[in-house]
This record gives sequence, structure tokens and C-alpha cells, in this order.
Amino acid sequence: MNPQLWILSAGAIATVLRGLTAALRDPQLWILWAGAIATLGVYTILYRENPVSRFFEHIFVGLSAGYLLVATWAFNLEGRWWDPMIHERRWYWIFAPVVGFLFYFIYSRRLSWLARLVMGLFFGAGAGTFFREFFPLYSPQLYASFKPLRPDAQVGWAAVILHNWLFVIVLLTVLSYFFFALPHEGRAGRNLGRAALLGRWFMMIAFGAMFGNTVMARISLFIGRMRFLLKDWLGSFIPWLAHRGM
Amino acid sequence: MTQAPPHGFWQRMQQIPRYYIYALLAGVVIWQLLFPIRLPIAPSRATLGVRDAIRNVPEDKIVIISVDWDASTQPETGPQTQAIIEACFQLKKRFAIMNLAAPMGVKLANDIALRVARRYNAKYGVDWCNWGYKVGQGNFLMAVAKNIPKAVATDFYNKPVSELPMMRGVENISSIGLVVEVTGLAGMTELWLGLIQGPYGTPFASAYTAVMAPGYYPYLDSGQMKGMLVGAKGAAEMETLVNRPGSAVAIMNVQSWAHLLIIVLIVIGNVAYFMGRRRPGEGRR
Repeated sequence: MNPQLWILSAGAIATVLRGLTAALRDPQLWILWAGAIATLGVYTILYRENPVSRFFEHIFVGLSAGYLLVATWAFNLEGRWWDPMIHERRWYWIFAPVVGFLFYFIYSRRLSWLARLVMGLFFGAGAGTFFREFFPLYSPQLYASFKPLRPDAQVGWAAVILHNWLFVIVLLTVLSYFFFALPHEGRAGRNLGRAALLGRWFMMIAFGAMFGNTVMARISLFIGRMRFLLKDWLGSFIPWLAHRGM
Repeated sequence: MTQAPPHGFWQRMQQIPRYYIYALLAGVVIWQLLFPIRLPIAPSRATLGVRDAIRNVPEDKIVIISVDWDASTQPETGPQTQAIIEACFQLKKRFAIMNLAAPMGVKLANDIALRVARRYNAKYGVDWCNWGYKVGQGNFLMAVAKNIPKAVATDFYNKPVSELPMMRGVENISSIGLVVEVTGLAGMTELWLGLIQGPYGTPFASAYTAVMAPGYYPYLDSGQMKGMLVGAKGAAEMETLVNRPGSAVAIMNVQSWAHLLIIVLIVIGNVAYFMGRRRPGEGRR
């Protein structure tokens, strides 16, 4: 190997070791190092599927599941169920988990009807909530789709006309793509087919925009991690990096 | 069957090993993080809508910031949350953080609020509070609409919310001037719009990861949402509006250059495809 490369590699190793020694003395830095090692470990997937990446993936899933359990207890069950039952003598709250445990009778052939009781309760509540949610959620969009094609003169009148016409054309052509009751034969059918084709093009444009946003989201996450590695982690023992304008 | 090695410039361009593309992307990101070439950031109408919605909250009402995100989307949703909290403190609007899903978000948002509050000398319980993670989603929202102290009960620090000074007079949904949903999870907005904004007319604004934002534009167009922050771009615009350029501005700058690289790669790939097709036997398989 080239002697200059040797010197460079030795310098890099010495810098990382210096950082590691500092981290061992400061518990706050342990968190940084754990984060950096986990990030680099997960990114090894870019080379190929491997046990290191899987290991850190499983740690993340385990941490999230564990945190959910603790948060459910600390923010909900403790204050709203345990404390009233124990300290305020609302003993009847003991029946709440009994009802919950009925779910586990799904594993018994003879008593699975008990599980179906609570499932039915949940399905009913879910359906009722969704029914209540549906109309306030979608009816304003229905009203909003009725746009004036000849709006009154105002500032930006031409832009409003263009927007409204474009909206209505896209709406109708895309809807025609999902109209399956008429075959694309005969005069009316062929016209419907043309509208459906135009609708498909509009949808393709929309999917392209959505895919662009997906790329943007993924790259944002990657930049976020690189920023953490460069500024927070490497910056903890290479001060020059910590003071860069990122 | 082994694939024949590529021959010809355009065919090689179509088969660039993915490691080279990863390395190129990482190179551009590191270059722009270390030696940034700043590009202008102009706030969009959707972002201005969020700022105006916060500004229009009446003095006697509070803002709810529902932080339904966790570490997996933090580079986007973290700066969005911070910029919204900055706007609330600057415009002197009291707010409550809460969480319906992904409970890690409530701790991460709490850390952000504590950090920002120090700059504005804001006090916990007076200027802001954290209701913590609440289970039940739709059922919880329906309960909040009717009786907030009873539905929320305790805060992030396990203290009764009714004892917090800022919660005096906060009885039900009529005490809420705005709901801002910050999320990377689909389905949360539908709950807020269907169970709170629709039936009670409570103003609603949102901040989404870029990947899910396109699906919510119809709600912005119909007026159900006052405004929307789209990914790191929306966060950067909001940071610019509140005069606190931070991590989102840094991310967006790098992002623009990374996008430029991807556009160049897409153009190269397509030109290579069409050039390859023009030579019989080279581009077609």
C-alpha cells in the first residue's frame, strides 16, 4: 500500500479511537455512539442482506414494541384504570381486563363464542365510528368538486378559470376510467374509451408526482441520518465538523 | 443463464452498478452538508396557510399539536414539529401536545418543546403542556370533544391536567382554536376531520411526510384543511417564515442537489435506453 495511504488510515483510526475513549468517559456520548453504530449497521443492507443489518432492525422493532407497552401503561392504564381501582376503591374496574381476556378464548373450540362476543362489540363500535366519520369527511369534497366554469371577474380570473376547467376535466375523465358498465364499442363507447384513456394519462401524471414525493421523503431521511453521523457523531470528536453550517 | 457483459457506451450507462449510484448520492449529500451552496426557499400557499391558521387562533383558545410520528420519520416530522412550536411561541398561542399513535413521538416532541421553550422563557403548564400518549384514537377524540379534563385526565408527567394553569376554562372542543396534526401515519387525519373538524368546525392544519402528502391535497382544496406542511420542504418553509432556519433548511438545501443528481441519472438512463434501441441487437432484450 502507498505510504501516504498508510498515514491517512492510521490518522483516521487514531481519531476514531480518540473519540471512542472520550465516549467511554462520558455516558451522554454512549447514546451518540449507539446511534451511530446502529445507523451504520442498518445501512450495511445497501451492500447485501446480512445478519448485522437484521440484528439492528430487530433491536429497533423490539424497542418500539417495548416503548409502546410502557407508554400504554404510563400514559393510560396507570392513571385511568390502576389508580382509580387501587386508590379510589373503584373495585369494579377489575372487570375491565376480564372482558379483555375474553379475546383469548379464540384458541378454544368449545368457548370461542366468548371471543366472538367482544369481537362483535369492537366491530359494532368500529362500524358506528366509521359511519359517523364518513359523511363529515367526504361530503365537503363532493361540494368542492362543483366548481364554477364561468366565475365572476376577480383578481387572477384567468388562473381561476384554467384551474376550474382543468379540475372538472380531470375529475370526469378519471371517473370515466372507472366506469365499467359500458363496453368501449359503438360511438358512445368509443368516446368513453377516449375519455378513459385521457383519465389514465392524468392518473399516470399524478402517480409520477406521488413517486417524486416518495423519492423526496426517502432522501430526506437519508440526509437526516448523514447529518447525524457527520455533525453529531463525528462532530463529537472532530470539532471542525460540528461547526460546519449544517 | 449468465448475462453477456455490456458492450457499447449506452448499454454500459443502462447497467451502472447500484453501488456507484449509492456512492454518488452519498458523495453529493456529504459535499453539500460540509460545503453548502444555499438555494432560496419561498414559502408556498399551503405553508402560509398553517402560519395564518396559528395566527388566527383566538386568545382564549388553545392549539392542539397532535404528534403522531416516531423516530422512523424524525428528519421530516421533527423539524415540522419544531417550526410549528416556534410559531406558537412567537405568536403567543398556548398549545397542548398529544399523541394518538406512535407514542415515541410524544417524548421526542416534548424534548423539542422544552428546548424551544427555553428560548422564549415559556413555562410548562402556563404556555404549553403535554397531554401524553392516549389510546383509543376515534373514541378518545369523541370523548375530548365533550369533556377534555375527563378524557385526558393526566399529562405527560402524570399530573392531573385540570391542575395546569393553562387548562383553566378548557372544557370541551369549543375551547380548541386549532388542531395541527404532524404525522407520518395514514388514517390519523381522517379521524380528526371526520370526528372533530367536520362535526364541530374546529380549524385543522397538518404536516405530513412527503411520501403521504399528495393523498391529502384534496382536503386542502376543499377547505377542510387551513394549510399543510409537505415533508422537509414544508418544514424548511415554516422555519423561514418564523425566522429560525434550522435542520430543515439545511436538509432542503442538500435535498435540492440530491434531486438534481437523480434527475441527471433518470435522463441518462432514458437517453441510454432510446439510444440502445436505435442499434439493433444492442438495446433490445
